[in-house]
Amino acid sequence: MRHTSPVAEAPAERQRRTTPGHGQVVLLPTEPLDPAAERDSSYRFSDPGLSELSLEALLTELLIRVQEALKVDTVAILLYEPDSNQLVARAATGIEEEVEQGVRLPLGKGFAGRIAADRVPIFIADVNHADVLNPILREKGIASLLGVPLIVEGQLIGVLHVGSLTPRTFDQDDVAVLQMAAARAAPAIERAQLFARLEHEHDVSMVLQRSLLPQRLADVVGVNVAARYLPAREEVGGDWYDVFELPRGRVGVVIGDVVGHGIVAAALMGRLRTALHSYAIEGHGPGRTLELVDRFVQSLNESAMATAAYAVFDTYTSALHYATAGHLPPLVISGADVRMLEVTPAPPLGAFPYGRCPEHELSLESGEMLLLYTDGLVERRGVALSAGIDVLAAAVNAAQTPEEACTLAVARLVPREGLRDDLAIVALQNAAVPSELHLTLSAEPKTLAHARRILRRWLNERGADEGVVAEMTIAVSEACANAIEHAYAPSPATFELHGQARDGEITFTIRDGGRWRPPRGHNRGRGLSIIVAAMDDVQIDRTAEGTEVVMRRRIAPK
Amino acid sequence: MSLADVQITLVPTALIAHVTGEVDMSNAEEVGATVIGATPNEAQGVVLDLSRVEYLDSAGIYVIYGMRSSLQARGQSLILVIPAASPVHDSLRLAGAERPGEVADTVEEALRVLDGRPTTGS
Repeated sequence: MRHTSPVAEAPAERQRRTTPGHGQVVLLPTEPLDPAAERDSSYRFSDPGLSELSLEALLTELLIRVQEALKVDTVAILLYEPDSNQLVARAATGIEEEVEQGVRLPLGKGFAGRIAADRVPIFIADVNHADVLNPILREKGIASLLGVPLIVEGQLIGVLHVGSLTPRTFDQDDVAVLQMAAARAAPAIERAQLFARLEHEHDVSMVLQRSLLPQRLADVVGVNVAARYLPAREEVGGDWYDVFELPRGRVGVVIGDVVGHGIVAAALMGRLRTALHSYAIEGHGPGRTLELVDRFVQSLNESAMATAAYAVFDTYTSALHYATAGHLPPLVISGADVRMLEVTPAPPLGAFPYGRCPEHELSLESGEMLLLYTDGLVERRGVALSAGIDVLAAAVNAAQTPEEACTLAVARLVPREGLRDDLAIVALQNAAVPSELHLTLSAEPKTLAHARRILRRWLNERGADEGVVAEMTIAVSEACANAIEHAYAPSPATFELHGQARDGEITFTIRDGGRWRPPRGHNRGRGLSIIVAAMDDVQIDRTAEGTEVVMRRRIAPK
Repeated sequence: MSLADVQITLVPTALIAHVTGEVDMSNAEEVGATVIGATPNEAQGVVLDLSRVEYLDSAGIYVIYGMRSSLQARGQSLILVIPAASPVHDSLRLAGAERPGEVADTVEEALRVLDGRPTTGS
């Protein structure tokens, strides 16, 4: 058998030899390197610059240095993947196909597999007559191979192997150089791998966090909203915010903070956001909604906890109901005045069985803003929480819009060096109702609901009582429905709705570019009947250019 | 947020459809088709619960008439649940169509009306 190592000719006491696989020879050098070679190799592989590199850059650098030191044609690094118990080709020079094809090798078999399983260097003099699993090695015409395991504190990291296209006898010095390279590189690889994994987890939780927060805030008639989320310097947390529309002209706004960091906190945040939105849609008020989310957290059987503040604003009546669970008190910005809202101390969600979240009520006047925020915004090392809230209040007291409030708060409170904790802030403003309505609406059925929300708010503000608001809303909606039916389909068309209040009388004008159609079918006339019944006076003007409906009704002062 | 929702319950004699939200020309036909489509042939009739509807306009009224015709053609009755103080009641009053079918104040009352009626067609 000619394929055993020529190193075997050396005195038997210098090395032990076994043949783990056909044509493979295990080499265990016992002789120290020639001092000059040692110095040279040591320099090559202990460069402290190596530890600064990312995993990819480190592996590439290692390939170059090993190739130079041993004057070989190929170098390959396979890393051990504990989950699959396989070696995965991660970097190679001369046999790049290994990496491109994503070669995976089982432990215990073949050349690299034996090196990894037995944790010994192996030399193959003649690849064609040896136990080699990876066909790429033969296809590339590699004649001889030498490989060593990469080990850190007894843990297998991978395999480093070199190859020669011409038959070559790797001697004891070659083995020593390769082992030194492996010894120096292994810890750096492990560090870089760990770092890459952490970085990956950070990226994943960042993407998760982003995808779990609203992509855009609900566009609700009657309010202006804005929000910010900023991750901490090091890792994401579980802060969240949400704004959603609720039945009967109401809008929900919530902010919360899941205790903990990373993917787990971000994932729980997503579940709580969904749970709260679901309970809110069911029609529960803020206090009961938070209590139900608390029961939900309790039922998870995880040591999960979160704080939250949730408010429901009624765009028709300007009433604001809110409740908190272990969360910082909301602020209300009213002109240049900023006040902290009263809250009843309540435990965080998931903290105690049957936690209660008492509800508070106030009127959020036109132009006023509600500001919800997480502790990441106001908590600073060595500064009292109340002082942080005072700084926030001072920062936002000149804000005219929610967007401005968020910008000012972040600009003033986020330290230059970044955040230790993530932060969220959301602002909701009771949008001022104009004294006259001038709306251009698209001529499609879904416009009607939108127009009614605007109308109810506007009529409320004009002082009409509830019944009158309802009657006029249906009358205007019917006239708008007619305008939509007149529109020449399928091109996009619009119609106009004007409203004004003078001397206790409301006048609406609905103008479209189509022709008034006589009612079709005996039930289609009901729209006009409703308009006539709900208003004091109705005039319909049909011309070639379009149809104009003018309707009036007196309202009794409230 | 969807404008309206329909929640359907089947009892031995009838299909009960609870409608919530707002019904206008954008969704009235869908609401009607949903209820008619879900009504089994064996049911004596449909109880259309409009007590929690917040808004109903002429398009909605038109669909109610349409539902009544479809059901009548199958030998089934339509009983509406419309309490006196409700937005739907106000819409019907404005439209001059106080009783677009048989009306009850509650679902229970509607079911009693249906149960006390001899089964048609058998």
